[in-house]
Amino acid sequence: MKKIKIKKGHDINIAGKARIDSISEKFPETVSISPVEFNYIKPKLLIEEGQSIRIGEPIFYDKNNPSVKWPSLASGVIERIEFGERRAILNIITRIDYESEKIQTSSTTNLSSREEVINFLLDKNLFPFIQMRPFDMVANPAEKPKSIIVSFANTAPLGTDFNFSLSGEKKYITEGLKNLKHLTDGKIYVAVNSSQFDFVDDLEFVEKIFVEGPHPSGNIGVILNHVDPINNKDIIWTIKPQHLVILGKAFSYGIYDFKTTINLAGPGVKNPSYISSRLGANINNLCKDDLVDSSLRIISGDVLTGKHTSIENFIGFYHSSISVILESFNRPFIGWLHPGGKSKYSVFNAYFGTNTKPFEFTTLQNGSHRALVPIDSWEKVFPMNIYINALVRSIEAGDFEEMEKLGIYECSEEDVALCSFVCPSKTDVAGIIRKGLNMIYLDK
Amino acid sequence: MKFLKNIFEKTGKLVEKGKPLSWAYPIWEAADTIFFSTDSQTKSGPHIRDNMDIKRTMFFVVIALIPCYIFGAYNIGYLYSNALNIDSSFIPSFLFGLKYVLPILITTFVAGAICELSFAIIRKHEVNEGFLVSCALIPLTLPPTVPLWQVFIGTAFGIIIGKEIFGGVGTNIFNPALTARAFMYFAFPTKMSGDKIWAIGVDGYSAATALSVPANPKNYDTASNLFSNITQFDFSNMNLFWGLIPGSIGETNKLLIILGGLFLIYCGIASWRIMLSSIVGLILTATILNLLAPFSTNAMLTITPLQHLLIGSFLFGIVFMATEPVTSSHTNRGRWIYGFFIGFLTVIIRSINPAYPEGVMLAILIMNMFAPLIDYYIIQSNIKMRLGRNA
Repeated sequence: MKKIKIKKGHDINIAGKARIDSISEKFPETVSISPVEFNYIKPKLLIEEGQSIRIGEPIFYDKNNPSVKWPSLASGVIERIEFGERRAILNIITRIDYESEKIQTSSTTNLSSREEVINFLLDKNLFPFIQMRPFDMVANPAEKPKSIIVSFANTAPLGTDFNFSLSGEKKYITEGLKNLKHLTDGKIYVAVNSSQFDFVDDLEFVEKIFVEGPHPSGNIGVILNHVDPINNKDIIWTIKPQHLVILGKAFSYGIYDFKTTINLAGPGVKNPSYISSRLGANINNLCKDDLVDSSLRIISGDVLTGKHTSIENFIGFYHSSISVILESFNRPFIGWLHPGGKSKYSVFNAYFGTNTKPFEFTTLQNGSHRALVPIDSWEKVFPMNIYINALVRSIEAGDFEEMEKLGIYECSEEDVALCSFVCPSKTDVAGIIRKGLNMIYLDK
Repeated sequence: MKFLKNIFEKTGKLVEKGKPLSWAYPIWEAADTIFFSTDSQTKSGPHIRDNMDIKRTMFFVVIALIPCYIFGAYNIGYLYSNALNIDSSFIPSFLFGLKYVLPILITTFVAGAICELSFAIIRKHEVNEGFLVSCALIPLTLPPTVPLWQVFIGTAFGIIIGKEIFGGVGTNIFNPALTARAFMYFAFPTKMSGDKIWAIGVDGYSAATALSVPANPKNYDTASNLFSNITQFDFSNMNLFWGLIPGSIGETNKLLIILGGLFLIYCGIASWRIMLSSIVGLILTATILNLLAPFSTNAMLTITPLQHLLIGSFLFGIVFMATEPVTSSHTNRGRWIYGFFIGFLTVIIRSINPAYPEGVMLAILIMNMFAPLIDYYIIQSNIKMRLGRNA
């Protein structure tokens, strides 16, 4: 057992936190999987519009790595395939047939080696649930990871409280971890906020990590930076907590159950709450009556790293929450002279009486983009042993060697999202880190 | 308000992309966002942003300087009325000083704005509010008697050579305000040093600063009478602290500088590491020189660390100049080293070369030059640590 105490960082006090009491159930009519969400894949469709499909059947595969196929998230009919620019596949929408979905034959398997687990996941089309670091992409089954990490400690603003949403899933989490252990010769880390997921203590093959401190302390990148840094050519596999449950069910009974709990939160939601739904569910089905009557931005994921989407769209494959904030085009007169109060939020002591109450953030950038002035703002919220300023400059200069040396492999957008949040120059630090990763990946 | 908004909306259409006036967009954007906060939207994640921006950051530095301006103007009037033995109460003295400070201030802003805006147009970069800080700093480092054409040329030099030729804010090496001052110091020495320029008085009125005294050794041999044998001013530590003495416009009152520094530290804008380590560097070096003083005939070695802290522009320099984020070290460990050497070099320049009255300006410029090198070695140690892990 290890303990990590993070000091640098910031818990954004944003309004609209979901109540942790009950979970209502909602049944979406359609689900979708969106190939553009997965970094660096070249999707090739295996189905066409109008075709019936059963849950778990392959729906597309990656031309770069044909053994990895994506499962259909529901039984039903492929209603529509949406294409974007240059024929990028935006959505593969399935209308759910709940009746036919009930029929699934369960079987028990006992997997005892890495090969067996990999083959099981590939056969069942469940491999895309495993992601890898660096690059934040679907793992490659041919590679062997140095270690595996699952973080139940979700410190993101309005992030899903996994201690609540996965409270009844002990059995499947255990089963999932047990089988994933075969995949690596190294350690399997499970990160938690203190005194949660006690049952993990009994799993002797798991290295439990207590994390303490403000966001981004629960992020995989930050935890790895402290316990097991990613060096050049290292590969670490990660899996989202909600996906661990799905895999656990598949390992236990051989069935597909893509039910998951989604956290609907943010200042644009009337009754922020937890909803039991399913992966890739239609957002309209989830929250149409719960939104305030205003111009809104709907985000699949959390407010720092989520994807800007719309009500007709679908929740992202890796996301466990929907955040809704208000759009604002308000232009106060001489706003930079504003004394402070309830209408401002800042991690700097630059306003009077701010940050006391949960703040209703809007889509305003709160300032124009300017040249970078390093007033130590990023460093205050970036708890990794990396010179982020130098790293960003090396990316902007396109210096591959320097990026590697400065530790770009340890970073991901989510780890630096707070840097973008606080940056007075309104620099898109997360975007720059992704640009650097893309440059390196595409150069390979 | 609506009227203003309409003006900006109409003029905004003229500078849109593709329109003949599109080259003026950076200027329009800067002016527009001064009056009305921008409605720029977040695009991808993070979808929410902090309310702090560069405008406010730079504005806060200017706020921290305002007390220095007020006191500076008052001090000019105070010294004048003292020389003439007339009423030296606050308001008349302040108004008298304002007559000297305001033209200098306006000149710097005009020169600064011309340079910044034309470069924004030519180089197609955003107008960075940082130039307001540079322009607000320059007058405070000048003697009140400085000719305005020199101020204009100096400011232009500082903004262009100190900043724009390196690519503008964010990539400059030297502090533009200090570059301007250094240029003026070396280009117009008669108007920037000596004992005739630091106070307004009758013709030929002599008002030496504490630092220019030792430069003209007459009959002192120890520190105790170093400052006491001077014309009409008493450079006791108390007087040096309260600042009713000749000097550059903004540097004399140490209390206001310290308050300004604390304000910037509290807001998270200026680096306390640089300020603290500069003071440590200065005290250590001065102490060592004190110990060496008996072996030397140089009376400057006998100046105590406290006197070093209070005389000249040291505090002003480390609070407002050395902490300039772009030209100082970018790493926290680097900031300690950078600051320490500013303190060290200030004392060394002051003491070893007493013919040169003030060391802090050159100390900061020299360390500006070395800041990237310091960062380089700090970052190399991080890289070595990472490479070591790979091995």
